[in-house]
Amino acid sequence: MSRDEGSGIVTGDGTAAPTEGPTAAGVRAVCDRLARAAPGLRARSWREIADVLGAVGERFLDPGDALRAEALDALPEEAGYSPAMAERVLDGMARDWTADRIHAMVAAEFEAPACLDGPCLVGGRRLLAVGPTLCLQIVAGSVPGVGVSALVRSLVLKAPTLLKPGLGDVSLPELYARGLSAIDPELAGALVVLYWPGEAAELRDEALAAAEVAVVYGGDTTVRAVRAAAPATTRVVAYHHRVGLAVIGRDALGAGLEAVARELSLAVATFDQRGCVCPHSVYVEGGLEEATRLADALGRALERLESELPSGPLASEEGAALQQLRGSAELVAATRGGSVRHGGGKPWTVIVEPEDEGVGPPTLARGVRVQPVDDPRDVAHRVASVGRHLQTVAHAGLGSRVEAVASALARVGASRIVPLARTSFPPPWWLHDGRGPLRELVRWAEVDPG
Amino acid sequence: MSSGFDRLRRALEDDFDASSGEPWSDEHFERRALEVFHAQYEGCAPLRALCDARGVTPDAVGSWRDVPLVPTAAFKQLDLVSAPAGPDARVFRTSGTTRGRSARGRHHVPRPSLYRAALRGPLRAALLPDRASIRFVSLIPAPDAVPDSSLSFMIGAAAEAFADGVDWLVDAEGRWSPRAAEVWADVVSSGEPVLLVGTALAFVHALEREGRAEPVLARLPEGSRVMETGGFKGSGREIGRTRMYAALAGRIGLPESRIVNEYGMTELCSQLWETVLCDGEERGRSHLPAPWLRVRALDPVSLEPLPEGQEGVLAFYDLANAGSVSHVLTEDIGAIVDGRVRLKGRAPGAEPRGCSRAMDEMMSAAGR
Repeated sequence: MSRDEGSGIVTGDGTAAPTEGPTAAGVRAVCDRLARAAPGLRARSWREIADVLGAVGERFLDPGDALRAEALDALPEEAGYSPAMAERVLDGMARDWTADRIHAMVAAEFEAPACLDGPCLVGGRRLLAVGPTLCLQIVAGSVPGVGVSALVRSLVLKAPTLLKPGLGDVSLPELYARGLSAIDPELAGALVVLYWPGEAAELRDEALAAAEVAVVYGGDTTVRAVRAAAPATTRVVAYHHRVGLAVIGRDALGAGLEAVARELSLAVATFDQRGCVCPHSVYVEGGLEEATRLADALGRALERLESELPSGPLASEEGAALQQLRGSAELVAATRGGSVRHGGGKPWTVIVEPEDEGVGPPTLARGVRVQPVDDPRDVAHRVASVGRHLQTVAHAGLGSRVEAVASALARVGASRIVPLARTSFPPPWWLHDGRGPLRELVRWAEVDPG
Repeated sequence: MSSGFDRLRRALEDDFDASSGEPWSDEHFERRALEVFHAQYEGCAPLRALCDARGVTPDAVGSWRDVPLVPTAAFKQLDLVSAPAGPDARVFRTSGTTRGRSARGRHHVPRPSLYRAALRGPLRAALLPDRASIRFVSLIPAPDAVPDSSLSFMIGAAAEAFADGVDWLVDAEGRWSPRAAEVWADVVSSGEPVLLVGTALAFVHALEREGRAEPVLARLPEGSRVMETGGFKGSGREIGRTRMYAALAGRIGLPESRIVNEYGMTELCSQLWETVLCDGEERGRSHLPAPWLRVRALDPVSLEPLPEGQEGVLAFYDLANAGSVSHVLTEDIGAIVDGRVRLKGRAPGAEPRGCSRAMDEMMSAAGR
């Protein structure tokens, strides 16, 4: 493992990184080196690779491990989280980096996982599942840990991986690469973590030209730009901007209201509303009275959470945006009905809006909108206009109507409908934006032995 | 009510016209500010509803600082207008690139004469301290081509007041006029100074054209000056602005100190100007508000006023906004130093965290 401070390159195999800052030629050299690591990777079984990847991942969960300590040291400043939130996020993400979870992910994705190691019978055909010859992972950086989950996905498929982290999620993949090099230099040679600024298009294009598959996590503009720049022969797997919402049925508004509010507050607070799983809008069965009751309980829960899982510090620009959200919501509430409660100097904000207000833009910094809905099955219709940006729907108190509500929401765009308590951390085998996390990356080869 | 509003409007216009450019006394500003608040409380139903909800009625307000702030985001959700529309009323729209349910904010200006009166004195001081009129060459589209653009309206109003003639070189779709070369040949041969006005992005585009297509800029006669506005504020392109000024100055053959930045926004009828033509680069690169525009830097989370020199979110009380709402909270970050505003640009290369950019994309994708 070596790290060249000037280059921002972390490699796994101990070879010297370029001494200058990242250049297109440097990216090309990195891609060439990764290609050379491919044969060694392909000679190993996926199980062996998963075990090594898991051994590194487990270090992030071990309270006595130096790698975890370094991660917890770096995360608050890098990601803008409080230390308590950094720990919650690391625990939630690293839980999926263990050998057991990686094995389970492969098993969930492939009917016959052996097809990753050689042709085998799948549904009456002999098939080989081939990972990309080079996988470029361009990660957004809004949620720390996504970068490591991404590199685990491609490495377990035996794909040499160039990971371009986003600001906010640089340390974890770098630490992971270092951990990998300590126990398996050969596997570490198939991984490079290299940061370059978003506007350095020539570096991105060099990597895109070399990659068989490019995975991009980011806003719609980033995704559009990567798609436009990718050669016809590079497959782009895109995870564009997504948001979550919550649907709360009448059954959750009785004696269990405070518990539901607590779970909802955790879903809102985890990742400080920067994750695609975070609920930005909450639809409450009933009228303004029910919505207000839930909002009051949610406000209390968010206030309590500020001592347990404090919000991260707000940049001036984020504070300014929060004031726009609060101030305009107050004006609208005074004019058209509804109400606003917030934490003053603490950034949580709960806005109750009348039913006819329409779907609002995503909030920020533990802000959330609450709207009443007569029948939870109508939420799908209400949010259809933003359906292509929908991802996780959290639910509570829907009883036997869960499947009807879920089906309607799935048909407008949602891909994950889960109980409130499971909102924040999906398992590694989740159908990420509706697609298998590993199946999406492989190329199938049909083998007819004749 | 309309006649009451018009009495107030006339008084304000008289004040603006009579203003020497020196700051108004606190007493005079306060008196006018509270008159304006009374009119807005009476005329603007959303503002009145908010005031009533907070118990902030005209009787209870002793200072303009106590008037509830209206965020610029609210201009996207509500019609904030305090007087019936006059015959020449305008509705200016924002570009639609900021967050909100509606893609575009709308600023109702029921009496544009107040806007014109607020524009003249500060613009003259910033751009024409040495002469009564000048030829305008505009890279901003003409007001009749973009009737809902406050910027085009502003340039049109400035031209009415101070232009010997105007050449509009860019149309509403951003296309360069085929007359550009002819206009510049005439400017060069006349030897008379001009005022070149444009947005930062228009200048960038003009400079990028150099060498690739027919030039749309020329070396300007001595005594010429440039008004540049918008484009870089908070966009992470502060380095771009420095480079652009150097490139532009080189191309038009004037020192950078002849380029004056205007800071304004659709939601405000008054402007702030750099004063480099009079004060030079050192002092003149901060923005001087019009005397009837009070500006404060507030703590972004608590909204408490910050001490001199400390950066915060900028809030304005603009008497020229009498026809809509005057106490406006922006998303811009800056510090107040010696009565002037020092705008903060985002650190070069910094990428905002989270989905603040993405949410705009999402709402525009939803067609809102």
